[in-house]
Amino acid sequence: MSTLMFEGFPKDLVVGDLADGSVTLTVDAAVYPLEAVYGAAYIFIDRCFVLLDRPKAGSVSVTLTDKKGAADAGALRQMAGEFANELLTQAWRQKIVEENRVLLETVTMQALAGATATPAEPSLDDLANFDFTEEAFDDPLGIAMSWEEKYKKKTPAEVAGEAPAEGAPEGKP
Amino acid sequence: MLAGIEKPSVTFPAFFRVREVSGSFVVTNAQGDWVVLTAPEFKAFGEGTVERGTDLWDRLKVANLIRSEFDVPAAVARLKKRMKFLENGPNLHMLIVTLRCNETCVYCHASRADMEAVQTDMSAEVAEKSIELALGSPSPFITIEFQGGEPLVNFKVVKHAIEYGQRRALEVGKSIEFTMVSNLALMDEEKLSFLLDHKVQICTSIDGPEHLHDKQRKLIASSAFKAAVHWINRINQAYIERGLDPSLYHVEALLTTTREALSRGREIVDTYKSLGCRALHLRPIDPFGFVEKTASRVEYPREEYLKFYRDTTDYIIELNKKGEQILERYAAIFLTKILNGEDPNFLDIRSPSGAGISAIAYNYDGLVFAGDEARMMHETGDDTFLLGRVGELTYDAMMKHPTIRSLVLASNVNGRPDCVNCAYNPYCGVDGVHTYKTQGSISGRMRESTVSAVHKGIMDYLFEKIRENDPGTMEVFRRWTINRARDHFVQVPG
Ligand code: SF4
Repeated sequence: MSTLMFEGFPKDLVVGDLADGSVTLTVDAAVYPLEAVYGAAYIFIDRCFVLLDRPKAGSVSVTLTDKKGAADAGALRQMAGEFANELLTQAWRQKIVEENRVLLETVTMQALAGATATPAEPSLDDLANFDFTEEAFDDPLGIAMSWEEKYKKKTPAEVAGEAPAEGAPEGKP
Repeated sequence: MLAGIEKPSVTFPAFFRVREVSGSFVVTNAQGDWVVLTAPEFKAFGEGTVERGTDLWDRLKVANLIRSEFDVPAAVARLKKRMKFLENGPNLHMLIVTLRCNETCVYCHASRADMEAVQTDMSAEVAEKSIELALGSPSPFITIEFQGGEPLVNFKVVKHAIEYGQRRALEVGKSIEFTMVSNLALMDEEKLSFLLDHKVQICTSIDGPEHLHDKQRKLIASSAFKAAVHWINRINQAYIERGLDPSLYHVEALLTTTREALSRGREIVDTYKSLGCRALHLRPIDPFGFVEKTASRVEYPREEYLKFYRDTTDYIIELNKKGEQILERYAAIFLTKILNGEDPNFLDIRSPSGAGISAIAYNYDGLVFAGDEARMMHETGDDTFLLGRVGELTYDAMMKHPTIRSLVLASNVNGRPDCVNCAYNPYCGVDGVHTYKTQGSISGRMRESTVSAVHKGIMDYLFEKIRENDPGTMEVFRRWTINRARDHFVQVPG
């Protein structure tokens, strides 16, 4: 076993093993939902053997082992990086899909209904009831409003109910 | 903060997305309305200090970007207009009539087979079953596109499919159109007469000037370029002889932009011009078919491609200003969405993308795939997007296939990280099969996607031009958004 650390990654979270051609990432389960870990891990199964584990409460570990067993340090770092980026993408995508459910479902239903000549439910016409202006309050770019302004818009009860978990990206403005 | 905005207003702007392009700010909304603002204008917009009655107020109001003035019916109407393509099921049905090909291309997308590989020919029976499945689409109008390999290699089945398709479309009361993508080297007068008599639209591939084309597309013992040019001229002449308007009816060609092409933009345009082509699609090379194996020879970084795109499109615009009529296809697609608020239904740049819901590929062996890229992946060993087999699969089962539903959901830009924040969201789209191939997932990672980089780069270029507002350029752009239907090729029942 020859343990490897990778430049740019926290050494306690990403560890490689050159002899095995593997890299293990430890993921904080409070930051990334398990579905995102599954989704990100899955994209590696054509190239790697993938093993998920729970080394301790609140953590998930993902070991990616190069199927050919021939990965060098650069290739392992690349795998770790790609996994990390995919994990973020999957986690964020999940949130986006939840938030945009109305639009996504409407368009999907309309597309499938169009393709099978059946009435769509919901259909694009139902978007007349959709509040296009309200979306601005999500302000993904942080331009239209400051965090404080966004915060002020909510009732105290809402704010209490929505306080992000400690360590979550929105927890510290 | 962008443009020095100090105190952003929560009450003035309606929902918007923004992108800084060369010092200006492209602001769009969910429906695809847009304005290009200077930095002070964007600051005023962001801070909500725009005075009613000013030019800026009026421009923002027209673009439905002022919250207090927001016009919901207009927004819904615009969104519906842009998404009209959702109404009618798949209309593009690609029949891969053979994998055999007489040419060998350095980047071959189609995963070709040698000329002896007759087992890769589609049978007449599979062609008929494919057409039956295609006619199950609720779309009142279907296009059957013959592809390969080289479709002329299996002309017997092409002929049969055309005759069968014409008869059956008539019987079920649908309009039908046939197109064929061919390198033309195996064309002869008899085949041409048949194709012309049956109103088949013919399209070819031209990779640029003769030396480049012949270097990339090898034809044993002769010039692939000369063969293609001979038949382009012959077909164009035949259209004129049949009384068709040559400005509308002529052979168009497809370009594959390899590394070597990047330094030859002008020569490529001049070649297309000399052949009478009026459209040039500066497509970058894609990862399907055989290109992976030859990637080191033909691939290139996307910044190089975008420089090529800008320089070449500048040149095309200049030619147009001098009276030539030739458009760049990417620009035409995006401009139609941006300037007209309509989607030209280009399946790879659509949200949701066309794979499955708008385009189906029927392989020579009867296997059915969610689009041609999906079919090419099968040839390289991946059946992720296989929907079933003709004769067994019903149209309804095909459209309700979970693979299609997943692709529709995953390729919606409103469910994709990066795209949800991107100012180009209303005009864009990236095919889920492509992201699966390149990044392992059907939703993809747009920050790392070469397709996203290309789309962003091209739209940056177009919005720079729109901001410059040169009357000559804008007139050219306007012309590029006019889609003249080629009715001659559409065979209407009754
Ligand atoms: S694919 Fe890229 S350019 Fe297109 S909407 Fe998404 S992020 Fe923007």
